[in-house]
Amino acid sequence: MAGDLQFLLQVLLWGLYAGCIYILLATGLNLIFGVMKIVNFAHGQLLMIGAYVTFTFYAISGWNPYVLIAASFPILVLAGVTIERACFRPILGTGKLNEIFISIGLIYILENAAALLWTDEWREIHSPYESLAVTVAGVRFPVDYLIIIVLTVVTLCGLWAFLRKTRLGRAVRATSQNRNAAMLMGINVEKMDMLSFGIGAGLAGAAGTLWVVSGQVFNPYMGSIPAIKAFAIVIIGGLGSIPGAIAGGLIYGVVENFAILSLGAAWKDAISFLLLIIVLVIRPTGIFGESGE
Amino acid sequence: MKAELVSIALLLVILALFAGCTGEQASQGTNLKIGVVASLTGPASTTGKDVWQSAVLAADQINAKGGVFVKDLNRKVQIQLVQGDDASTREGGQTAVSRMIAQDNVDLLVGGFSSAVVSAHESIVADHGVPYIITGASSPIVTRRTDINTSYMFHHAPTTDASGSATTLFIGDTIRSAIDQKFGYPADRPLRLSVIYQDSPYGKGQLDAIKNTINASHLAMTVVSENAFTMGESDYRTILTGVKKADPDVVYVAAFLNEQTPLMNQARRDVGLDKIFIAVEPNDDPAYYSGIGRYGEYSIIQSRFSPYAIPGGSTAATVTSFISDYDAKFHGYPGMMGAATYEGVYIAAQAVENAGTTDKAKVRDALASLQMPQMVEAMQGQTISFSPDFRESSFSLDMEQLVWDDAVNQTRPKIVWPASLKERDFVLPDWFVPGKG
Repeated sequence: MAGDLQFLLQVLLWGLYAGCIYILLATGLNLIFGVMKIVNFAHGQLLMIGAYVTFTFYAISGWNPYVLIAASFPILVLAGVTIERACFRPILGTGKLNEIFISIGLIYILENAAALLWTDEWREIHSPYESLAVTVAGVRFPVDYLIIIVLTVVTLCGLWAFLRKTRLGRAVRATSQNRNAAMLMGINVEKMDMLSFGIGAGLAGAAGTLWVVSGQVFNPYMGSIPAIKAFAIVIIGGLGSIPGAIAGGLIYGVVENFAILSLGAAWKDAISFLLLIIVLVIRPTGIFGESGE
Repeated sequence: MKAELVSIALLLVILALFAGCTGEQASQGTNLKIGVVASLTGPASTTGKDVWQSAVLAADQINAKGGVFVKDLNRKVQIQLVQGDDASTREGGQTAVSRMIAQDNVDLLVGGFSSAVVSAHESIVADHGVPYIITGASSPIVTRRTDINTSYMFHHAPTTDASGSATTLFIGDTIRSAIDQKFGYPADRPLRLSVIYQDSPYGKGQLDAIKNTINASHLAMTVVSENAFTMGESDYRTILTGVKKADPDVVYVAAFLNEQTPLMNQARRDVGLDKIFIAVEPNDDPAYYSGIGRYGEYSIIQSRFSPYAIPGGSTAATVTSFISDYDAKFHGYPGMMGAATYEGVYIAAQAVENAGTTDKAKVRDALASLQMPQMVEAMQGQTISFSPDFRESSFSLDMEQLVWDDAVNQTRPKIVWPASLKERDFVLPDWFVPGKG
C-alpha cells in the first residue's frame, strides 16, 4: 500500500515537472493572444531557439546552465520583439488568414534557420546537479526537478508582480481587456503588443532552458509537439487567461503522466486531448475563460 | 488584399529559399545513379547524416578507381548519388522515393531507415521495379510482406527476429549466469526482463522475437513488464517508474538513437533504475556514447559494427580502414547505419558489374545471386549474399558492454559475446540490484 502511494507520488512529480514546461509555454502564448488576439503557431519554435541559446552559451562558457536562463530569456524577448515588428505588426487587423500563414511560415523559417546555424543533430546538456537526488518517504526527488519547479514559480511570480504592480504591466492588462479603451486612455497599444510578444517569447525561451537541463534531447524540429500541447492547455485553461494557463498546464502534465501509467504511453496524447474535448463540452470557454472572449 | 498577397508571396519566396537547401552529387554524363534514402531532417537526422556520408565515401572510393564496369557499355561509369531525404516520416519517404524514381531516374535505391518509413514507400518501389538494397530497416516484413511485390527489395540489415533472438539468448546465457553466480540464486530462478519498445513494426518485431526465443529455447526468463511508447518520444519518466515497480533484472529497450539517449539518462539519473540495460543495434553511433555519458556504463548494446570497437578476426582490417577513411573525409566516426549503407553502395556496384547492364530486372537477378566477400560487418560464412526466400543477408551479431574510459571521458564498447569475437568477459556492476519477484 505504502509502495503504491510512493509510486503514485513519483508519477505526480513527473506530471508537475512536465506541467512546469507547459505552463511557461502556455502562459507566453496566452499573454500574446490576450493582448494581440493572434495565435502564434510558431511558439514551440521559440522554445527550440531558447534551448539552442542555452546550449550555445553553455558550450562557450561552461557556466551552470540554470544561470543561462538569464541569457535565453532576454535574447528571446529581443527575438519576439523583432518578430512582432517585422512579421505580425504589418498584417495586424488584415485578417486571421494572414496571421495563420505568417506564423506557419515562421515555423519553417525558424526550423531551417536553426538547422543551418546549429545543424540538425540531436543535442543534450548534462546538468551539474544530475547526480543529486533527495529521497523523501521513498519518493525520489532529483534536485534538477526541484530547481525547475522553483524557477517556474519564481518566473510566474515575477510575471504576476510585473502585470499587477507596475505601470507598464497594468497598461498591458488594460490593452488585453479593452484595446480601444486603452488607446483612448493614452496607452500606446502597439508598444504593448511588442512588449507582450517579447515577454511571451522570453517565457518560451526560459522553457527551452529548463527543457535542456532536465535531460531532454533537442533538435531544430522538436518545437511542434510542445506547441500543440501548449495550444490545448490554453484552450483548457481559457483563451487569454494566465491563471487558466497555469491550471491547464498542471492538469495537462499530471493527466498525461497518469494516462501513461494506467493505459500505456501510446494513449498519452489521446487522453490529454480527450480532456480538452471534455472541458470544451462542459465549459466551452475553458476553466478560467470568460464568455464572449 | 494587396498587402495579404504581398505577405504570402514574400513568405513563399523565403520558404522556397530555405527549402532548397538539399544536396546531390554533381552529374557528369552517363552515370550509375544510386538514390540514397536517408533521414536527413527530422528526428532521425543524426543517423541520416551518417547514412548519406557513408554512401558518399563508398561512391567516391569506387569512382576513384575508375567507377563500375558495365559490359553493355564496354566501359566504366561513375556512380552518381541522389539524395532522398525522407524527413524521418512515412510521407517524406514516399515523396523522396517518388521523386528519385520519376524525376531523377535512379537505377537503384540504397538505404531506408525505420521499418515504418520504409514500409510506407515500398509500394512505390514495387510499382516501378527498382532494385532496392534496404540497409536501415530491421522488421522482417520489409521483404516478407505479401500485399506488394517485394522481389526487387533486398534486406541488408539484421531482422528483428535475428537481432532479438541473439540478444535474448545472450541475456539468458551470459547475464543470467552472472546474476545467479553473484547472488547465489538456483539455476532455475527465472531472469526478470522488462521490455520498453517503440510502437512501430520495428519495436513490435523485437518484442515478438524476445517472446518467441524464450519459448522456443525454453529459457528461464519471465517478461515482467512490457511498455510501448510512440515514435520520437522524449519523456520516459513515468514508463520507467512503472518498470521500477515491476522490479526486473534486465531492461531491454527497442528504441532509436534520439529515444534511447534520453531514456538511458532518465532511467539511471531520474528514476534510479540500477539494472542492466540493453540497447538495440541502430544506437551504435558516436552520438550515443557522447549522449549517455556515465549513465551508459555497464549497459549492453547489440552490434554488428561499432565506431569504437574493432572485433578480432577477418573484418578487423576493413573496419579499421573504413573508420579511418570516414574520419579523414568527414572528421568524425561512422555509425552502424552508415556502415551498412557503405556496404550497400558496394553491393549495388557489384550487382551492376555482375549484371553487365543497368537494366533493372537483370540487376535484380544479379543481386539475387550475389556472392561477395564480407566488408566491414561480420557476415555468416564471411560472405554477403541474400537468402533465396526473403532476400535477407545473414549477419554475425555481437554484444558489447560499455566501459568508462577516462581518456575520452565517455564510455567505450568492449565485445563480450560471442566467444569467437569477445574482448573481455561481461561484468555485473557493484551497483546492480537484482529484481525480487
